[in-house]
Amino acid sequence: MLAAETSGRYWGGLKLKGWDSTLPVWVGASLLLVLLMAFPLGAIFSTSVRNQAGLTFGNYAEVFTKPAFLTAIRNTIIISFWVGLIAVIVGGLLGWLVTRTDLPWKKTVRALVMASFVTPPFLGAFAWTLLAGPNAGALNKLFRAVTGGDEFLFNIFTMTGLIFVMALYSFPYAFSMIANVCELISSDLEDAAVILGANKLKTAWTITLPLALPALLSGFIIAFLHSLSLFGAPAILGLPAGIHTITTQIWTLFQYPPRLELAAAFSVPLLLATMVLIGLQKRILGRRGFSTVGGRGGQKRVVKLGWGRVPVFILVLAILSCSVFLPYWILLKAAFSRAWAMPLDWGNFTVENFSYVLFQYSDTQRAILNTFKLGILTATTGTLLAMLIAYITNRNILRGARYLSFFALAPLVIPGIVLAVGLFIVYTQPPVVLYGTVWILFIAFLTKEMPIGFSQAESTFKSIHVELEDASRILGANRLVSLKDVTAPLARSGLIAAWCFIFIGVIRELSAAILLFAPSSKVISVVIFDLKEEGQVGAISVLGILLLAVSFLIILAVQRLLGRDLVTARE
Amino acid sequence: MATVSLVGLTKKFATLPAVDNLHLEIGDGEFVSLLGPSGCGKTTTLRLIAGFLEPDGGEIKVGNEVISSSTVMVPPERRAMSMIFQSYAVWPHMTVFQNVAYGLKFQKLSTREADQRVSQFLSLVRLDALKDRYPAELSGGQQQRVALARALVVAPRILLMDEPLSNLDAHLREEMRSEIRRLHEEIRITTIYVTHDQAEAMATSDRIAVLNSGRMVQVGRPGEIFDHPKTRFVAEFVGKTNILSGRFDGGNQMFVRDGLQIRVAGGAEFNARSDAFVCLRPHNIVLMADESRAREMERQGYNLFAGLVRRQIYFGDAVDYTVELPAHSLNLRIITPPSQRYEQGQKIYALAHPDHCVVIKE
Repeated sequence: MLAAETSGRYWGGLKLKGWDSTLPVWVGASLLLVLLMAFPLGAIFSTSVRNQAGLTFGNYAEVFTKPAFLTAIRNTIIISFWVGLIAVIVGGLLGWLVTRTDLPWKKTVRALVMASFVTPPFLGAFAWTLLAGPNAGALNKLFRAVTGGDEFLFNIFTMTGLIFVMALYSFPYAFSMIANVCELISSDLEDAAVILGANKLKTAWTITLPLALPALLSGFIIAFLHSLSLFGAPAILGLPAGIHTITTQIWTLFQYPPRLELAAAFSVPLLLATMVLIGLQKRILGRRGFSTVGGRGGQKRVVKLGWGRVPVFILVLAILSCSVFLPYWILLKAAFSRAWAMPLDWGNFTVENFSYVLFQYSDTQRAILNTFKLGILTATTGTLLAMLIAYITNRNILRGARYLSFFALAPLVIPGIVLAVGLFIVYTQPPVVLYGTVWILFIAFLTKEMPIGFSQAESTFKSIHVELEDASRILGANRLVSLKDVTAPLARSGLIAAWCFIFIGVIRELSAAILLFAPSSKVISVVIFDLKEEGQVGAISVLGILLLAVSFLIILAVQRLLGRDLVTARE
Repeated sequence: MATVSLVGLTKKFATLPAVDNLHLEIGDGEFVSLLGPSGCGKTTTLRLIAGFLEPDGGEIKVGNEVISSSTVMVPPERRAMSMIFQSYAVWPHMTVFQNVAYGLKFQKLSTREADQRVSQFLSLVRLDALKDRYPAELSGGQQQRVALARALVVAPRILLMDEPLSNLDAHLREEMRSEIRRLHEEIRITTIYVTHDQAEAMATSDRIAVLNSGRMVQVGRPGEIFDHPKTRFVAEFVGKTNILSGRFDGGNQMFVRDGLQIRVAGGAEFNARSDAFVCLRPHNIVLMADESRAREMERQGYNLFAGLVRRQIYFGDAVDYTVELPAHSLNLRIITPPSQRYEQGQKIYALAHPDHCVVIKE
């Protein structure tokens, strides 16, 4: 009922909230976003309805009748559903545990969840091939050694294995949202229910859960969409077993001879489905007020786990072993070994993998430089743009602002690889030819990371009571000044978190880069994928460790700066 | 001249009118409350005046200048208004001093002048000692005073207050409302005050505008609103009351039921034999046990009700009686000073002067 709704005059299709000197900034940022999304999407749409003969729906017909495509769609839906569900359960459990209970070592648990988030899924998937490959996998060898048989315990090259690994690297998204909300739900609200005679379970069911429901739903949707767009993990784990998802199927379509039009047609329905999904989510969430950080904050009480404290902690450790300890251990081992599958003793120990990657191989050297340049550039531009867009949608500055969030979130459903096709089509032909330069990667990353930056900025803005801003405006600050003086400082940590999320997203990006790189603009992830084809386990591990180390250094530095945790970023 | 005119002001959310064709003139230096239950449109009205919302119809003028209409929309930062918010909206990342000084940034003042002004207003709200604290280190009442100083320091043309006291405890609320009235009498800024608390409106305002479902129901001085409500809604919303339904004779009689006839005041706008209500405030009824004295007062023109004490609640400073009128199967609520005590079941006479029996409509 407050500032949520407004009306006004039409101006170029946008209805304005009144004459405002800051208008060009909002309109400019919106246009930039729309163009950023519209070019590749437009290219995909127009390519999807064309063949050599002209306009046609033949591409769609082919996509929806060929069994191979249908199987890929089915696989993708099954995988994403389970990944979303597991992510919400695991993320929700951990989020609640670290914010509201007396779980031991909560800070460490948070740090490890962060580590899972930072780990590129393709790297995790690669590590799990070393851990649970049916023959040479370390865990399976251990199992055989213990039982004396010649069976294997896990085969990671299966549907289950794929879901397992993808969930491991999707749950931090759900965790982040749920932990944030758990911190916001004050115990007063729960106490009120207890006073009315509700027991713990009933309180959790009727008060805590409904309050957390928007976060749970958003967590599911984000994890679902994230897993939908993953390319690296399914390529590494699924392809050897002949399991195709939509993304790997599209990638196959780019192998010689490329079938761009089919790939385009394959991604259009995906886009529409997500539109519906996000629209639905907005509808569900939109009816509840989530203004939470106001003048006063509620008390938070800690739930005592009692006898369950140790078993629960062991469960948490088990989850984090799968996402962090085991994969890191195997990568480290491989990085320092001549032969990764052999025991790591003095005879097998080496640092040659490092010197090869860092000093001898020019491809990796250049890739490292490109990666970090692109990371910084994209994160800075992206945070700024995401902040402006989130501000526009959150404060409803322009008419139709809520459609902007569709644009900002759209890349979630454009698998990186599809986005790459769109950009490929747009920027390989005049007027702007960027293919072959790092700029096409910059645009791809900026587009692709917009959802993370945007949702981070948006949820931060959402938690800042609009009256804090109104108070500065009525005293004479225009919207930009108010954003600078009040909103941005209050959202500072959320925005820094957005920067980090984007940076880390960029340096581990594979699925768009794999189509857009040129020999001079290779990035680390692409080089890793190249090396995988050559079976260079040691070099891959070194690059992987480098990626992880840099990510962690950045996070540590920022956490030091802010004096708190990033995954659950708030004041 | 900082007068404010609302002319046919209308605001719809989706298709529901939140503010419906509102007309109101507010004089220079006047303190006007918008009073009504939640959802009556009072906060929406205030946000329309502040410029945070744009009207769907009508206009808002300050002096002769139109600031909101279908063709004009002055943004909030150029309205020279101040506002105090329900959540205080004190900025947590700034000290008390910085909070109060913020608005002066946009005025052409030297640093020394500005600092002086801030100090002056900090002492006005008695916060000088706390100027370097952060809001998190302040109590609710202190935060409220920061908000007050921050709003006043810029010397606004108009001060808007949105339920500023609703987050305070009752004691502090009473203290702050007289503080607000005191400050108003000192600086006389045109003030529009939104509240759902009639006592707050009475204590602070020159005039009260009662709103219901987005419409203006009655405007008047606090005494007028209380003593001469025009509708049942106003009568019941503002203060405690007995409401008796009946038929108005067009002169000075109401026929309530079973031969119960009440002499009334007002009702000039009613036709003879129209359905109406009588509003009878519990404080305005006199109780006595002595029949002859009661009859004597009846002869002097008072309405007399004979009944039995059904229930009594002792409040220390007053006693709240429920008196049953067996002949008419009616109950009357009567509040008397504590010096008068009657027993449960005792025969009693209730007397009300016709001036206190106000004819009102639904």
